[in-house]
Amino acid sequence: MGDRTRSGGGDLLPGTLDMLILKTLTRGAMHGYGIAQFIQRASDEVLRVEEGALYPALHRLEVRGWLTSTWGTSEHNRRAKFYRLSALGRRELARESDYWTRVASAVTRLMQTG
Amino acid sequence: MRWLHGLIGVLQRLLAFGRRGRLQDDIDDELAFHLEMRRREHARDGLADADAARVARRQFGNVAALREETRDMWTFPSFDSFVQDVRFAVRTLVKAPGFTAVVVLVLAVGIGANTAIFSLVNAMLVRGLPYTSPERLVLLIGNVKREAVERRGGSYPDFEDWRAQSASFEGMAAYAGIAATVATGEGDPARLPGEAVSASYFSILDEAPAMGRTFRPDEDEAPGRAAVAVIGHALWQDQFSSDPGVVGRTFRLNGDPHEVIGVMPPGFAGVGDNARLWLPFVNAYSADRLDSRGTRWLNALGRLDEGVTLEQAQTELDAISSRLEAAYPDTNEARGVEISPLSVETFGDLRPAVLALMGAVSFVLLIACANVANLLIGRSETRQREIAVRTALGAGRGRLLRQLVTESCVLALAGAAGGVVLARIAVDALVASSPVQFPSFVEPGLDLPVLAFTVGVAMASGVALGLAPVLHTRLVRLGAALKDSSRGSTGGGSRRVRASLVVAEVALAVVLVVGAGLMIRTVSNLAAVDPGFDTESLLTLNLAIPVAPLPASELAAMAQAPGARPPLAVPPRDLLDRLLAVPGVVNAAFSSDRPLQGGGSAVFYAAEGHEVTEAETRPRAYYHRVTPGFFETMGIPIVQGRTFLERELRPDGSSVIVSENVVRRFWPGEDAVGRRISIGSTTLSIVGVVGETLYRSMPANPTADPDLFIPYAETGVQSVILRTAVPPASVVPMVRGVVRDASPDIVVFQMDPIDELVAAQTAQSRFTTWLMGLFAGAALLLAVIGIYGVMSYLVAQRTREFGIRLALGAGRRQILGVVVGSGARLVAVGVVLGTAAAFGLSRLIEAQLFGVSAADPSGLAAVGLLAFVAMVACSVPALRATRVDPIVALRDE
Repeated sequence: MGDRTRSGGGDLLPGTLDMLILKTLTRGAMHGYGIAQFIQRASDEVLRVEEGALYPALHRLEVRGWLTSTWGTSEHNRRAKFYRLSALGRRELARESDYWTRVASAVTRLMQTG
Repeated sequence: MRWLHGLIGVLQRLLAFGRRGRLQDDIDDELAFHLEMRRREHARDGLADADAARVARRQFGNVAALREETRDMWTFPSFDSFVQDVRFAVRTLVKAPGFTAVVVLVLAVGIGANTAIFSLVNAMLVRGLPYTSPERLVLLIGNVKREAVERRGGSYPDFEDWRAQSASFEGMAAYAGIAATVATGEGDPARLPGEAVSASYFSILDEAPAMGRTFRPDEDEAPGRAAVAVIGHALWQDQFSSDPGVVGRTFRLNGDPHEVIGVMPPGFAGVGDNARLWLPFVNAYSADRLDSRGTRWLNALGRLDEGVTLEQAQTELDAISSRLEAAYPDTNEARGVEISPLSVETFGDLRPAVLALMGAVSFVLLIACANVANLLIGRSETRQREIAVRTALGAGRGRLLRQLVTESCVLALAGAAGGVVLARIAVDALVASSPVQFPSFVEPGLDLPVLAFTVGVAMASGVALGLAPVLHTRLVRLGAALKDSSRGSTGGGSRRVRASLVVAEVALAVVLVVGAGLMIRTVSNLAAVDPGFDTESLLTLNLAIPVAPLPASELAAMAQAPGARPPLAVPPRDLLDRLLAVPGVVNAAFSSDRPLQGGGSAVFYAAEGHEVTEAETRPRAYYHRVTPGFFETMGIPIVQGRTFLERELRPDGSSVIVSENVVRRFWPGEDAVGRRISIGSTTLSIVGVVGETLYRSMPANPTADPDLFIPYAETGVQSVILRTAVPPASVVPMVRGVVRDASPDIVVFQMDPIDELVAAQTAQSRFTTWLMGLFAGAALLLAVIGIYGVMSYLVAQRTREFGIRLALGAGRRQILGVVVGSGARLVAVGVVLGTAAAFGLSRLIEAQLFGVSAADPSGLAAVGLLAFVAMVACSVPALRATRVDPIVALRDE
């Protein structure tokens, strides 16, 4: 199942969506829409998160215990589900971002060789 | 760390399962919120409301699919495919009804038998005693160190010292079995078993009365303080018409008025498991008896303090025993106490028997599984093409494996369902027909642990069975099946798996058959034991004759001093004459104790001219008071001298008749008549010598001590032995009639033909043997079916080869040799392995054996039988092989 949705990140590299969500949530509790908006804006519109991938990913991370969620009220006074990073999620993020840094720099080095 | 994530995931999903409805609503809300935010975004960008909503929706894609996908995160993904697998398995199995029926039936028998036996194990060893914290309950059993340490019971002064000086116990109570005549005015007076118990007895067991109260400590302090009794539920129903106001009612107990102070709840029958009523301990015995340190008959029940081990308590009691030995050397030399858990004392000899049966029955299941595995392998071979097609169409290996395991699990669970039905019937039949008396609170039933066991066994069998064909398809290349024709596609792998299954079946069957052989030898040895008297056509009964109406004080004196002679309502000798006049009765005698009840009283004696003073070897004997006709009635040979004369029948008579071992020990080869022995200060002269008997217990007396017979003296309670010319049971009604005619107040109890008592002594061996034989028979049958199946298969596989051989001029005898030889090799390997295992395992049932060692040659005979039957099973397919028509075999490709 994980394999099915992990790669569904649209313009994203497979497997990076989870990491981006975790990273985004280090800023504090956010609802799904907010997460999508943030990723888009923070990446200067380079990364676009599709709803079709975002929600399964959020719920998957919640099931794993990396996120916790609470229902709260949005800025427009509507009932919304807010996600928060858990201790487990924080540890996972550290692991994934380490890995990402190593892979990304390796890829970069490779691409820069004549 | 990973495992933790997995665990959290499982827990989250399980929690989510509990609130499926909420979860769906939440997801809908969440997605609706997102949609709304998008719509606002577009509206802000200047789109009209309707357009904004439409664009937002389009951007969102398929909402239904997204909903579904998101929700799936919270479910077990394999569950769906599991349901699919089960459906598919059921469909496939239904399409092969014959195969399915055979497999389910075989498994049902195997699993059912296991369930039935496990329900016994569960009732006895898992559920155990029906008391609070039963592991802290112990018995304190007084013993004496002779050549071996013998259990003798304790005296009341000893008990009081144990209780006063020990610190290991939360409580300690004396108890002893009694029999009492109960007359409530409703129905006939009855002689009933009961217990004399210390006041703390009930609180130690943590048993509260259903009505009223139990004894107060002051009621157990001095004899006669209070004439009170606690009655059991059954007695309350039978003799008190379930009177709700029974507390406070008075009834006659051994003729004395007693007050009912409490009624115990149903099912409670005391530690002895047969008590119908309870008396304060000190009220049941004479002051003399309670004061005598050398008169040992009681046991003590104790509850260990929390945290105290058996060893600690034993060490403490050993120290107390040494102190008592030093203080009272006359009575306490070599005397000790053994502390034994109550559960061991209650289930003692049943425990190893039941465990042996559990082992045996699990072997039967293993053999059944081996057979089913064979069938499944055969089936998977015919399904090679189906499996290959599914592989080609993209079914993963894991998925296929899961499918096969699911299929066999469905089979095993169907078998388990059938097994539970069979077990239900079997358990009831088992308990009803069992010659063994199980403790009354043991109610083997199909409760939750038993059902859990059954499902567990079924699932284990299912998984193992599912993997069997896989194990072998792993050896046969899956792909090969597609290209190949349906025949001859299996290689040596399959044959090897099948061959090892046959070896295993034979080995397991050998173990069971050898075990059953040893048990059968045991039973026949037991049946061949000569008790030294003629057990045929003997009826024994006990009589309780009340005294002629007298003041209660004299009545109590009678019950407490066996030597005294209060006038009885009917002179016992008159009664004996009346019994002798019953048609069919040819001889009658009194004895102070009933045969085969371990009874009689032990006394130390000294043979004139042979002073032995060491406690270990000091001569001891069991004495019985008998009438002159006793030896003739019992069929005990008089070796020297004569039986008693009428004039010798006096309480203070000085004649004694000894059993042969007394003479062998002290006057071997001499005439012992006229020799004297002394018991305490009394000197007795020997008038006769009789054959050694197993009068007290079979197949062996509890101790090897000889018996002494002294002249009968009138007592209120005695045993009658009747020799009949007709089946003993047929005179029972007339015997009762004669006694009732003499006096309606006389109670007849424990009336049994002696051969039934003999049978009861060997009941457990026969029960174990019967079941063991049944299991061995089932194992043998299953193993033979298995061998036959595999040999038939091998012959079918090699039909072509045999055809060619025959065509090339091989003789039919040769073909026969090849097939039988290959079968014989398997059987031989199985027999060797099985014999080795049987030799090792039979040590486990050594305690159940009598007169036969674990290495008895009867085991060999059993193995021979098995090998023979196995070879017959081989030869049928072998003969078929010789009848192969070469032309047909070769054309049939």
